[in-house]
Amino acid sequence: MARAWKSPVVARDNAPTPTAKQQSLPFAEPASLTGPLPPAKISLTPTAVTRLWFCIWLPNLPLEACRSSEAALAIVEEQHGIHRVLQADSVASAAGIMPGQSSNAALALLPTLTLEERSLVREQQVLERLATWLERFSSFVSIAGKDVLLLEIAGSLRLFGGLPHLRKTVSKGLRAQGFSAAMAIAPTPLAATWLARADRRVCIRAQENLGPVLRKLPLGCLDWPAGQRESLIAMGISSLGDCLRLPRDGFARRFGTERLLEIDRALGRLPDPRDSWRAPERFCADYEMTEEQSECALLLHICQELLLSHEQFLLARQLGTQRLYFSFFHLKSAATELQLGSAIADRSQKRWFDLLKIRFEALRLPEPVIAVRLRSGLSQPLQVDNAHLCFHAEGGKQQRRYSIAQLAERLAARIGEQSVSAISMVAEHRPEYAWKLQNPLSDWASNTLTTKSCVKRPLWMLPEPALLPADSGYPLYKGSRLTLLDGPERLETGWWDEQNISRDYYMAADGAGLRLWVFRNRQRTPNWYLHGIFG
Amino acid sequence: MSLEKLLENPRVWRGSSQVGARAGLASGYPKLDRCLPGGGWPFDALTEILIDQYGIGELRLLMPALAQLSREETQTHCSGSAEPGWIAWVAPPFQPYAPALQQCGIDLSRVLIVRPKDDSELLWSAEQALSSGTCAAVLLWPVTLDDQASRRLQLAAEKGHSWAIAFRPLSARQQPSAAALRLELQSTRQGTRVHILKSRGGRPAVLDSLL
Repeated sequence: MARAWKSPVVARDNAPTPTAKQQSLPFAEPASLTGPLPPAKISLTPTAVTRLWFCIWLPNLPLEACRSSEAALAIVEEQHGIHRVLQADSVASAAGIMPGQSSNAALALLPTLTLEERSLVREQQVLERLATWLERFSSFVSIAGKDVLLLEIAGSLRLFGGLPHLRKTVSKGLRAQGFSAAMAIAPTPLAATWLARADRRVCIRAQENLGPVLRKLPLGCLDWPAGQRESLIAMGISSLGDCLRLPRDGFARRFGTERLLEIDRALGRLPDPRDSWRAPERFCADYEMTEEQSECALLLHICQELLLSHEQFLLARQLGTQRLYFSFFHLKSAATELQLGSAIADRSQKRWFDLLKIRFEALRLPEPVIAVRLRSGLSQPLQVDNAHLCFHAEGGKQQRRYSIAQLAERLAARIGEQSVSAISMVAEHRPEYAWKLQNPLSDWASNTLTTKSCVKRPLWMLPEPALLPADSGYPLYKGSRLTLLDGPERLETGWWDEQNISRDYYMAADGAGLRLWVFRNRQRTPNWYLHGIFG
Repeated sequence: MSLEKLLENPRVWRGSSQVGARAGLASGYPKLDRCLPGGGWPFDALTEILIDQYGIGELRLLMPALAQLSREETQTHCSGSAEPGWIAWVAPPFQPYAPALQQCGIDLSRVLIVRPKDDSELLWSAEQALSSGTCAAVLLWPVTLDDQASRRLQLAAEKGHSWAIAFRPLSARQQPSAAALRLELQSTRQGTRVHILKSRGGRPAVLDSLL
């Protein structure tokens, strides 16, 4: 998965993005070195396009990322060799468990408490999943830090029916997925982040309104090192407005230019390019279980959930896939793989689930399953067919339930892909190469080739020519001598690929009236062979 | 009340031509059509063809009707679907030979060949194909086909408006079957003799040297 580095700043002509060198020397202008911070410099902000950043801060991410159904749960983190409670759910909090307590103290308060180690990997996965989900609201989603997601929504407002509606939709969606979030909207990403962290549920659309609101923010909501924050507070500076009143050079000397640049970016004086999150092209999701399971119904239910998220993943991209790979992991033996194929690119959970059910019946799991993984094959644009307008409402006349492609994939899912085939002609004189089997799942190639052969061919072809015994030059079939009705048709070809043939073909009839297609080999030994039955 | 009106009454049953029976699918053999109710192969139903060995003309008998099915849209399908139906071959004993099928007028791009591993898979595949509504005809060569299985096929054919054709050995003649039409084929020196054993709404008949 490649992350495209994309800057949201568009109006580059009017406002050139400062290079790294320029950024390191923001104090070149003597006016800004001395007195208090000057009012917002309009020249550096893109005026042509207004940006609006929607920040989602997930304060309870460590707790919510943990997929546990336990009633009393606390997330612990190791600090200086001691496991301390980082977050506790409502049941645990009610029992008096507070963040910062040691795990032993927490267990003493509530013996039924479940302690779960914090997993940053898991939190990152959850963030990525949410970012993927948020891509439906904006073309520009960014993961900023451990628990912050940013969306650029200026272009999405009209589509989603205005800011209040968009906000409501996002928050409802997050709640439905079990996340509590603080949200804020501001013209710069950093300002939006700080406002969200301060839990100011504000929405600032104009750049000029940003300053007064930011000035009131306490220092606690800035993601600055604790030491710096403490020394600022010791200096009597408790809000961002106090910071802004300090001389720039002195502030930079004490706390580093980085802090100063941050304030400038938040106020929109400097551009703040962000990385755009790009969801991977292929879907891959795991479902891990807390204990091994072997019950089919439960496993199917898990697969269905995975298929549902797979459908949502493809829906956002208007894509479908032809292949799905399930892996069922076991504790001891190697994972059991299951591959599903579809004739046409599809994403519908229902159809994939139907196919899976057919295959699942025949699946033999050597051991109980501990985790399930679903990977999708190459995604392709969905082929959309027009539905038929069927005004036929007679009860008995039923619509065709599914297309031939669906039928072929159903059959292939149950009895194997090699067992379902289509046939087509090949431009070839040798009878055994004049046709071929095709995979109906990959290509329904139209058989445009038509040969106008005046010589009759048999409807049944033997897989291999069968040697016939002969009696004084005439072939015998089941003991009786064959009468040659028609022929010979001489086929002498194939010298180019070592499979050359030289045969005289006849239509023959046996005593009971059966019509056979026989040939006499003209190479090596002149034996008679049965090659087909006219049926 | 005229006689015609009286005969339209559904309570009046006439043996030779079922009132309200749909027209059959012309078999391409006028002699046979005359003996079949509806003037052709019964659609939406199971047809059984009993043969003592493969290749005595059982395919030749069906080819004109199958060619017609694969080429043109059948009236029995939903009026919105402009596609001709498919012809599924389930477990054929040999390879259906593409050039010969084309010579008989069958559109090869409408042929689906299914090779199940055993009889239970065969019946499942045939049932799926029949009830899908996509296949105009399903040809199957079961090793055994009991009464219950034939009934299932018959129901699936009705559901999907499809034509099921099962090829069975002569020994199956004594077994009961739910098929709407049962034919017995025997090859003689003069040609293939077709014996109509059972015909729903029709009468048994023997047709000498039909093919």
